[in-house]
Amino acid sequence: MRAGAGRASYVLRRLLQAVPVIVAIIVLNFLLLHLAPGDAAQVLAGEAGSASPEYMAQLRHRFGLDRPVAVQLLLYVKNMLTLDLGFSFRHNMPVVELIAGRLGPTLLLMLTTLVLSVTAGIGLGLLAAARAGNWRDTLISILALVSYATPLFWVGLMLIVVFSLKLDWLPTSGMETVAAFHEGWARVLDIARHLVLPALTLSLFYMALYVRLMRAAMLEQAGMDYVTTARAKGLGESRIMLSHVLRNAVLPVVTMAGVQVGSLLGGSVVVESVFAWPGLGLLAFQSLFARDFNLLLGIFFMSACLVVAVNLAVDVVYTLLDPRIHA
Amino acid sequence: MRIYRPVTMCFAALLALALSVDDAAAQKRGGTLVMLVQPEPPTLASYLSTSGPIGQVTSKIYDGLLEYDFGLKPIPGLAESWKASPDGKTITFTLQKGVKFHDGKPFTSADVKFSILEVLKKLHPRGPATFRELIDIDTPGAHTAVFKLSGPAPYLLMALSGYESPMLPKHLFEGTDIKASKYANAPVGTGPFKFVEWQRGQFMRLDRNPDYWKKDRPYLDRIVARFIADSATRTAAMEKGEVHVGGFAAIPWPDVKTLGKLPTIETTTKGYEMSSPIVELDFNTRRAPFDNLKIRQAVSYAINRKAVIENVWFGWGKPATGPISSNFAPVGFYTAEVRNYNVPDGVATANKMLDEAGFKRGAGNTRFEIVHDLTPYGEEWQRYGEYVQQVLAEIGIKVTLRYEDVATWLKRLYTDYDFQLTSNWIQGLADPVIGVHRLYHSKQIRPGTVFVNESGWSSPRTDQLMDQASVELDPKKRAALYQEFQKLVVEAAPIVWVHELQFVTVYNKQLKDLIVSPLGLYASFDRVYVDK
Repeated sequence: MRAGAGRASYVLRRLLQAVPVIVAIIVLNFLLLHLAPGDAAQVLAGEAGSASPEYMAQLRHRFGLDRPVAVQLLLYVKNMLTLDLGFSFRHNMPVVELIAGRLGPTLLLMLTTLVLSVTAGIGLGLLAAARAGNWRDTLISILALVSYATPLFWVGLMLIVVFSLKLDWLPTSGMETVAAFHEGWARVLDIARHLVLPALTLSLFYMALYVRLMRAAMLEQAGMDYVTTARAKGLGESRIMLSHVLRNAVLPVVTMAGVQVGSLLGGSVVVESVFAWPGLGLLAFQSLFARDFNLLLGIFFMSACLVVAVNLAVDVVYTLLDPRIHA
Repeated sequence: MRIYRPVTMCFAALLALALSVDDAAAQKRGGTLVMLVQPEPPTLASYLSTSGPIGQVTSKIYDGLLEYDFGLKPIPGLAESWKASPDGKTITFTLQKGVKFHDGKPFTSADVKFSILEVLKKLHPRGPATFRELIDIDTPGAHTAVFKLSGPAPYLLMALSGYESPMLPKHLFEGTDIKASKYANAPVGTGPFKFVEWQRGQFMRLDRNPDYWKKDRPYLDRIVARFIADSATRTAAMEKGEVHVGGFAAIPWPDVKTLGKLPTIETTTKGYEMSSPIVELDFNTRRAPFDNLKIRQAVSYAINRKAVIENVWFGWGKPATGPISSNFAPVGFYTAEVRNYNVPDGVATANKMLDEAGFKRGAGNTRFEIVHDLTPYGEEWQRYGEYVQQVLAEIGIKVTLRYEDVATWLKRLYTDYDFQLTSNWIQGLADPVIGVHRLYHSKQIRPGTVFVNESGWSSPRTDQLMDQASVELDPKKRAALYQEFQKLVVEAAPIVWVHELQFVTVYNKQLKDLIVSPLGLYASFDRVYVDK
């Protein structure tokens, strides 16, 4: 169909435009990282305890840190274009392998949080807007405000204290029960149990945003002319709300969710730290202190690609939701 | 809903298995030990790095020639006996028979020679200093290794544990680039536990070595090391029984006492006697104002050691008197007969000292201003820095605190020497030659090398005392040398020795025989068993 073909060429165009953007991001990150004093050799030597100057010079040569910054940058960009993200000297593993290992848990947490927070946000926002001003609305708005204002790490720790220590319903931390080494479905169930608290903690925060946004958008739409027309035509209130107003009100929430995906990767450092969830956020945080630039740049590269992809997806979803918006 | 207890389930399952084996030793068999290792080790190459968490894991995989008892005396390890010549220049080790590496190949004297001469002496951070006197190792038989020294080295025998000097498989390392070996993170040793897997960011798994050379040992089926970044979460996991052991400050100080009160948990300060860390304040003696002896001594008087221990370390610690820890008292090296800075009226004494030395108080009641660098390892160091700021204000020194990350701090202290006062903690280790000399000897002022003499102080007499003590075989004469050394160093105060850091190991009561040597968590855990 013409619309389908138009959409496909639009997507292709956007993807091609993304390439120079990502390269520019990487170059900028590279230069920013090199502003930090100290390098990987120093960190390794410091941890090793009394390394000699010769040892550190050897390390620097092995890591390629003794070459001028411009040369290092060019080499890195060249490698990146062939998707060779380099070697992490700290972990003694290729960066791609390290990221691949942590990508699964990150995506799991991210997607669960996204689904949970968006659904709950839309649902509660709907409820609040349906009878604006009444006790249900007030309650939901207060809940949203409190969730948004409370620091993530505190929420996380309190949930552990209540649900894990006092009630003993859920495990405290980690992605699986390490000592048990489950297989198959038992493992899936085990991971699911470990996912509950971290996903809940992260969702509470983002849900608060979506609730307020949804509520505001619904109220704005409810005052529009087409709603009055629909009511005049004799349509029931709930049908107006769910079939007409909802579709329009959801657009700002979708935009917000798209933007949030990018921050979910980084914002989850706190949750990953509190719950010992083996994700990319914590890995990036720790590699900064270890001055493991290859790994950091690899994570930034992946983040940049993800954000570009999600933004593209959001734009495409827009055209599906609102036929007036053309690709 | 059944309450989910992974620990009990695991033990129960393995108990059923263990009951099928006869023999008294079978009563002890079984169980998975989950230990906290904080932070996650960067590598498992303990022959390249002495970073603390590495040793907690590798000491289970690699054995050493010797082990140690609580009297700080060596006992047999991979070496079943040893004999030193009267002049101390030859030590003959007789090795255990029938020892195999985890890949099945036999352990022989060739592995000893390779591990020490090719790896430890050349690449280990402390190796070149520890094995300085060692010229060669003869291997007249597969189970005999003869150390040939150029001069006596009384400290050498203290540095042969599996933690400090692991015995590596020559057949896997020879001819390769040792610094980039693939066995760095998949170690193969002779120890009671074999390396199985390392899920980065989550855990490491070690399984029982069924062919371990000590009969019937180890008792545990498996050891798992867990990495949990958040300190409060570590406490929660310990309380719940998801982890069974945590040491070296893995459990935050304020939580140690609370956890200790629980019926399932036990705490102990034993097992750190070969570590002997001292919390210090290091002066840069090559820069104003701390190039002046009186000012240094005044600061040392002003610090209330008890207050630091009670308020910053929650009661865990013992006031330090000088550069050598009281853990060395059993062997006679330690003395308290030195200038005593730990006086009740420390601040008044300090003020009097500074007034008499002519340092007047100027604007804002300040004599001078300095910048104080904080050790970037954790919460307690920031509190410590704040305390120092407060107490120095009382003697007229205005302190600005500076907090940087590890890499930056190390460069500032040990390469650029761009500091005035810093907090620090240094381990005395198994012998003063290994742990203490590096802070006070003139030859240890080496830019670019970390955890050595950064204060820049030295004196010909103390250099001489240290050099003599390194080669003195008579323990009494050695003790006398160190006692004079301590008197002189404490008088010169290049460092304020605040307290002997007391690490606490928090562990589940079901674990027995956990701490059986002064190496503590750096021992091999071959005797640990679960009391069902």
